[in-house]
Amino acid sequence: MKKWLTLSVLLLGAGVVSSALAGQANNSLVIGTSQEPPNINDPWRTNNLVIATEITWYMEAHLIGKDDNGELYPEIATRVPSLANGDYKIVKDAKGNVIRNSVTFSIRKDAKWSDGTAITPKDFQFWLKVEQDDRVPVPTREPWDKAKITLQDADTFTITFDPPYLFADQLTSAVGLNPAPSAAMEKAWSAFDAATKNLDPKTGAKQITDEWNKFIAQFTTSRGLPKVVSGPFKPTAWRAGNSLVLTRNPNYWLTPKGGADKYIQSVQYRFIADTNTLKVNILSGQLDALSYVGLSFDQAIEAQRSERGKYKTYFVPGATWEHVDIANVGARAQSLGLNDKRVRQALMYSIDRAALVKALFEGKQPVSNTWVSPISKLYQKNAKDYNFDAAKAKALFAAAGWKPGPDGILAKDGKKMSLNFSTTAGNKLRERVQQILQAQWKAVGVDVNIQNFPSTVVFSGDFAPRSAEGKWDLFMYAWSNDPSVERGDLWASQFIPSKDNAYAGQNYPNFKDADYDKIWNDAKTEFDLSARVKLFDKMQSIWTDEVPSLPLYFRANPYTKVPGLVNYTYTAYSLYPSWNAAQMGWASRGAVETFTQK
Amino acid sequence: MLNYALRRILQMIPLLLVISLVIFTLTALQPGDPVDQLVLGNSQITPDDIARLRAAYGLDQPIPVRYWFWLTHAIQGDFGWSRTFSAPAASYVFQERLPNTLLLTLPALILSTLIAVPLGIFSAVRQYSFLDYVLTFFSFVSFSAPIFWIGAMALWLFAIYLPQITNGVISLPPGGLGSPDLAPDAGFWSVLTDKLRYLILPLSILMLREIAVILRFLRASMLEVLNQDFVRTARAKGLSSRKVLYRHALRNAVLPIVTLLGLSIPGLFGGAVLTETVFSWPGMGRVIVEALTSKDFNVVMVALTFISVLTVVFQLLTDLAYAAIDPRIRYS
Repeated sequence: MKKWLTLSVLLLGAGVVSSALAGQANNSLVIGTSQEPPNINDPWRTNNLVIATEITWYMEAHLIGKDDNGELYPEIATRVPSLANGDYKIVKDAKGNVIRNSVTFSIRKDAKWSDGTAITPKDFQFWLKVEQDDRVPVPTREPWDKAKITLQDADTFTITFDPPYLFADQLTSAVGLNPAPSAAMEKAWSAFDAATKNLDPKTGAKQITDEWNKFIAQFTTSRGLPKVVSGPFKPTAWRAGNSLVLTRNPNYWLTPKGGADKYIQSVQYRFIADTNTLKVNILSGQLDALSYVGLSFDQAIEAQRSERGKYKTYFVPGATWEHVDIANVGARAQSLGLNDKRVRQALMYSIDRAALVKALFEGKQPVSNTWVSPISKLYQKNAKDYNFDAAKAKALFAAAGWKPGPDGILAKDGKKMSLNFSTTAGNKLRERVQQILQAQWKAVGVDVNIQNFPSTVVFSGDFAPRSAEGKWDLFMYAWSNDPSVERGDLWASQFIPSKDNAYAGQNYPNFKDADYDKIWNDAKTEFDLSARVKLFDKMQSIWTDEVPSLPLYFRANPYTKVPGLVNYTYTAYSLYPSWNAAQMGWASRGAVETFTQK
Repeated sequence: MLNYALRRILQMIPLLLVISLVIFTLTALQPGDPVDQLVLGNSQITPDDIARLRAAYGLDQPIPVRYWFWLTHAIQGDFGWSRTFSAPAASYVFQERLPNTLLLTLPALILSTLIAVPLGIFSAVRQYSFLDYVLTFFSFVSFSAPIFWIGAMALWLFAIYLPQITNGVISLPPGGLGSPDLAPDAGFWSVLTDKLRYLILPLSILMLREIAVILRFLRASMLEVLNQDFVRTARAKGLSSRKVLYRHALRNAVLPIVTLLGLSIPGLFGGAVLTETVFSWPGMGRVIVEALTSKDFNVVMVALTFISVLTVVFQLLTDLAYAAIDPRIRYS
């Protein structure tokens, strides 16, 4: 019995010992996340998961990066290209249209891979060669399909876009162009090339993809960890389903204030799929910080109430836009009057979004009036604000011919206004928002039937893109975009999904407006920011008048971190905390705070 | 007996083919496919990109063609690639996840049986005693309380509350497979201690349910047998109560438990999903859910086919065990 007791105490006590070793004591950082990426450090991003990108940024350097304020800074490059310094060039035709543009980068002399070899233009050429190869299953090659790299000298190269690429001066990792270690990968790439060169990319697609998987798995997975990396950390151990450990790369060249030894020496990602368990890990002090992919908003609110000084909860205003799309076309939409903008405007006036965000989000998630992020330079500051106005809503419904029936529900030509409202089942927050909206609409005579499905169903090709077929009348979900490279594609008629285009594009409401399309087309090639701001102003005016979708709020992304951890920050510009991996550290170990969480 | 076993094994082949066809068809008929995940959130993706990706993943073919492709390759041991886990589907499931499940479920099954059988016998023999009431209450609570709730409570108790009030003397990790910061050259005892710390809570929760089930079944079965004539006759013949209990009653009462255990084993591989989820234990149950959610057909096929094979194999073993235990059953 005594032996059992001793063993039990030893086992239980061991928990304390390991906790004490973590974090500040050994200059490490333990991060919790609810998702595990299929692979990391894939320079070609053959999966588009947020968690894969977040983790990759610890071990991937970029020509230029973007900080929390949206300011570009050089990392592998010696300087940020601009028109003023001549590294960014625009070529115009006789009519003044930009027909081509280019950026020139010089690589720092001290920029090295983790094995000590120099990063050279060859690594970027290799990346582009693979990116452009028809056999590689990248989701989309835009804008790289027609880009070209020309060498200027051993350290300098120019990328030319013909046709021009609007955001060529912002070639951060978010738009691609990642260095790929050509020396480490070329042998395996040649093997892939040899195995697939005689296969037809169309008929032999599956075999080619299998060979590609074998190639990329050697450099990006738990069984084939990246061999060499360019960023401040390199992976040392990945236990599938459990954890990933990264250690500081001594060959990384950007040294934080006071020396790299004063900053985090290792990062441990713990993969905890169940967010309630993730929360217990925070409360029990097992985690120093949460990843961008962590708790839901309501769980974070609960975690905030239990802080007791052990950690702090942050709600970072983001560029993720929650909204309700309205089916604008199709026989069903027509019979319900949803093709009439007065009805859509009335639906907008019927809901009290200010009360909603106050009640559910303690005001931490601001009401949105357009799809453009408020932190974007293109945001229309005086966008039409549909403040709650039940009288105006009723008047608009009446003008469109919808009158209350004996049961109080609006009716027209014997048809009741009874709308099917869908969102992702199981997302408690969205379901609560849905119930509030349902009650608010009911107050003005709109009957709303909630029909939710799992996210895999609603985001499948059989549901979300099929509004014209009457699969849904109202559909609530979120859209995320980098505010610096906003293009307005969501609402261009070119992106209306249909059978003819294999349901490509995210213009789910089927919004089609000739004026919008024309301005959007102009904005696509408008290289002058102030002129583009004016075009976006018009686009947002058209959009807010037509109301193809009901803007709700911009999501705030919650995370927690313990006191003393510095430079673990992000904004909607920098996207993930890993943008600043080299400078993360503990104040108690001498790390200097250069960025504070906004 | 041998003929019977061989016949059953041969019958398994068409049965497993039908099962694999049904699993494949149902999985493929789910709304959406892996390309949807890539299309989502990418407004730049073109119809050509979508067609290219569907062809690349073999999704442009009709379901029968895809099934035939899968089957002909699976027979040769090639179960395809897992997009979600970036590894060959079979080796990922069997090398990365199956050992974790075995580590959790086999001790759970063995320990639960070792604990539940004597408790079940005791509960039946001392029917309506105080301890019988206690055990009955325990088994009803364990059986009816949702695992995710018991798990969450256990996490709160051992990872938050007890560490606080005991100043960390009593503390268990809140989920996971082991300490990521354990040195790669940590000795055997350090690894074992670390693993056990992480195993205690999920193992205990899984055992609670198993103990409750076996206990209830054995108690009911024992009570039924103890009231039968042959037991009374054995007692009347003057046999010791120990002999009556273990040689006559238990041998008959244990038959339903053999069935229960035979069917529990395959069930445990996929059925521990809640325990694995709550305690972040990367096992087979979680892999099935993750693969289904992300439309990773190859992993779904490997995992569910494996569980199907286990089910039919353990059904056969159960039937054979019947013959070994019960002299009335002869397959010849």
